[in-house]
Amino acid sequence: MGAFLWGLFMNPEKYAVHYADKFLAPSLEHPFGTDFVGRDMFYRCIKGLSNSIVVGILASAVSSVVALVLGIASAVCGKWVDMVVNWCVDLCMGLPHLVLLMLISFMLGKGVKGVTIAVALTHWPSLTRIVRAEVMQIRSSQYVQAAYKMGISKWKVAVTHIVPHVLPSYLIGLVLLFPHAIMHEASITFLGFGLPAEMPAIGVILSEAMKHLATGKWWLALFPGLLLLIAVVLFDVIGDNLKKLWNPGSGNE
Amino acid sequence: MLVTTFAGCGAKESKVTKNSEDGIRAYVGGTIFESSLDPVKGAMSYGYPFVNEALLQVNKNSEYVGDLATDWTVSEDALTYTFQLKKDVKFSDGSDFTAEDVVFTYETVKDNQANNENVDLTRLDKVTAVDEYTVEFQLKEAYSPFLDTTAMLQIVPSDAYDSKLFDTQPIGTGAYKVAQYDANQQIILEVNDQYYGDAPQVKKVTLVSMEPEAAFSAAKSGDLDIVMVGSNYSKEQVDGMTATNFETMDVRNISLPVNPESTAKDSEGNEVTVGNNVTSDKAVREALSIGINRQEIIDNAFNGVGKPAVNFTDNLVWASTEDYEDGRVDEAIRLLEDAGWKDTDEDGIREKGSQKCTFDVYAPGGDEDRYNLAVALAENAKDLGIDIQVKTATWDEVVTLQNTSGVVWGWGQYSPTVLYSLFYSKLYLTGGYDNVVGYKNDTVDQKIDEALAANNQEDALAAWKEVQKIADADYPELYLVNIEHCYFISDRLDVSVETQIPHPHGHGSPIVCNMKDWKYK
Repeated sequence: MGAFLWGLFMNPEKYAVHYADKFLAPSLEHPFGTDFVGRDMFYRCIKGLSNSIVVGILASAVSSVVALVLGIASAVCGKWVDMVVNWCVDLCMGLPHLVLLMLISFMLGKGVKGVTIAVALTHWPSLTRIVRAEVMQIRSSQYVQAAYKMGISKWKVAVTHIVPHVLPSYLIGLVLLFPHAIMHEASITFLGFGLPAEMPAIGVILSEAMKHLATGKWWLALFPGLLLLIAVVLFDVIGDNLKKLWNPGSGNE
Repeated sequence: MLVTTFAGCGAKESKVTKNSEDGIRAYVGGTIFESSLDPVKGAMSYGYPFVNEALLQVNKNSEYVGDLATDWTVSEDALTYTFQLKKDVKFSDGSDFTAEDVVFTYETVKDNQANNENVDLTRLDKVTAVDEYTVEFQLKEAYSPFLDTTAMLQIVPSDAYDSKLFDTQPIGTGAYKVAQYDANQQIILEVNDQYYGDAPQVKKVTLVSMEPEAAFSAAKSGDLDIVMVGSNYSKEQVDGMTATNFETMDVRNISLPVNPESTAKDSEGNEVTVGNNVTSDKAVREALSIGINRQEIIDNAFNGVGKPAVNFTDNLVWASTEDYEDGRVDEAIRLLEDAGWKDTDEDGIREKGSQKCTFDVYAPGGDEDRYNLAVALAENAKDLGIDIQVKTATWDEVVTLQNTSGVVWGWGQYSPTVLYSLFYSKLYLTGGYDNVVGYKNDTVDQKIDEALAANNQEDALAAWKEVQKIADADYPELYLVNIEHCYFISDRLDVSVETQIPHPHGHGSPIVCNMKDWKYK
């Protein structure tokens, strides 16, 4: 979180080109070393991570809203809607995820827009399934059936009786989507279908670093890679802990 | 004691693994694997005569010399070109080389012009064999660069030509023949026994396809004898190899749109935005050209590999030789101030009214060198108060960006037709990458027409130089560097630097231009 805010408001001067300091190995002054044009890799990585997190937040927010709406609709609105939603979920999950990401990103002209939309549009299916299953379970419970019998509309039942119950697993799903979104953003950027080379991003940094590995510039790949790993693991831990806190049933697992 | 033992071992090891029977292994970039080897489809049109040979070739001083032709004459009206051919030349399949093969090659290319974007024969009317060793070309209109064309198109045998087979196994008159072609892996060249000249000393050359980083690692472990590297590797050390920089005719320049922003119709009739409100000011373009420090840019971007360039390279006969000093910061700032570009809000970037002195420069095609060059330029331009935003784009994207933003181009060819393509006003918005800046100058157009229609080389050269003199004074192109190609070459091999032509544009392949002269030391 700190990295995210720090990066968001970072002065671009911090990771600006500085030819006098090309290829410096890590030191106190440059904890992550510098790259082939003398940019400080520490600040560049933080900024890159922050960019990744922005994309991650946007993408998982959109993805989770899509998942919530579709999940509830498929469980509440009857057989036909359920079939269509399930069909869409199968369709999206049937294609290799990375290929789908690349296709969408490339189609939208790559860049921030392409990546964000691609990541946002491809992360909803698994969450949709979870939400749908939960809703199905709740729908058959007696108080919901009672509410229906009392003539309350489907929409109102969904909002007042179902959503509050689904919320914990939904929020956990949302947090757990996060590491996926960040990893996928970094992967397609690394492969050249994502963020442009002039933008600091972990994927860009790693693919640049590949060119200098053969000449022994190990710090260009190691630290950014570690940072990405740590960020992803952290979000995963947050998600798991939230699960323990919010989902009492999981205590019995 | 210990040190000497180790050093002894190292040296021994690298000798043992190499054996001249195996020939040499070279990595010369990927372009040679990406396209057909068939001259009819434009292969080797920059003139590397190791399998097929052309009528003429261009020597070290970019003058024409005979290759398969011994002599040639041009008629008074510049419409008829007559070539005398070499006798007793055989193709590698044993058939004789005669005028008929030349006629066949040119007619095949002309009939299939769409398959060959490198050799343009649209101005050729007809080609006839006068006798067995004389060929006559009739042009539809005078076209002085026709001799370049005859140096670019290599001859294939009329009897054995097979469009599909020649993509990988061309038959030619050169010193080598393709012994084995493995797509995207390797091309093995062996000596052509039928070759009319002296047999080359290196009997076998294997060109390998690899990722550049993998090639460098392979060289380090002693698997390669020649490896092309980017300038970022030039300061590295490899045991048993020496880093060598080769002169090229290749320049890197940035196109600066010369017209203010407006809308226009493109070649397909779509309304597009063209021009740029900052670079359209001649003061900005001139200030950049004279104010930046090219040597510093080269040191920063290319590890100091390359030479500063303010126009095309002096190793081309037609190139302008009117050089000027750069790094004149004070003069450049005066130019900008006089034109109304002042930094009133003290943010380090000048402005004129509400217009900030900033524009985009695109590095196309994922070329890291071009990106680094543009970044180094942007750093340098800060001293002038000009803000250059460096971005990357694919070649497809560049087509829509080239009329409004700067683009880093690379030009390196011995034909002066590049000037036609850069400055001829009628080519603006015709699609492709021609005259992207929207340059329009009637005198330049007229001089280009004059140069193309000249009936002798001297008049043509004079006109081409005139074209550059007038056009360069408007600074539509910001020339930065005459790049150098960097290779690591095994210490046991001599690639005969004296017979290497200045390398044309070619991402590494040009070193093969004189393969038959290579020797073991």
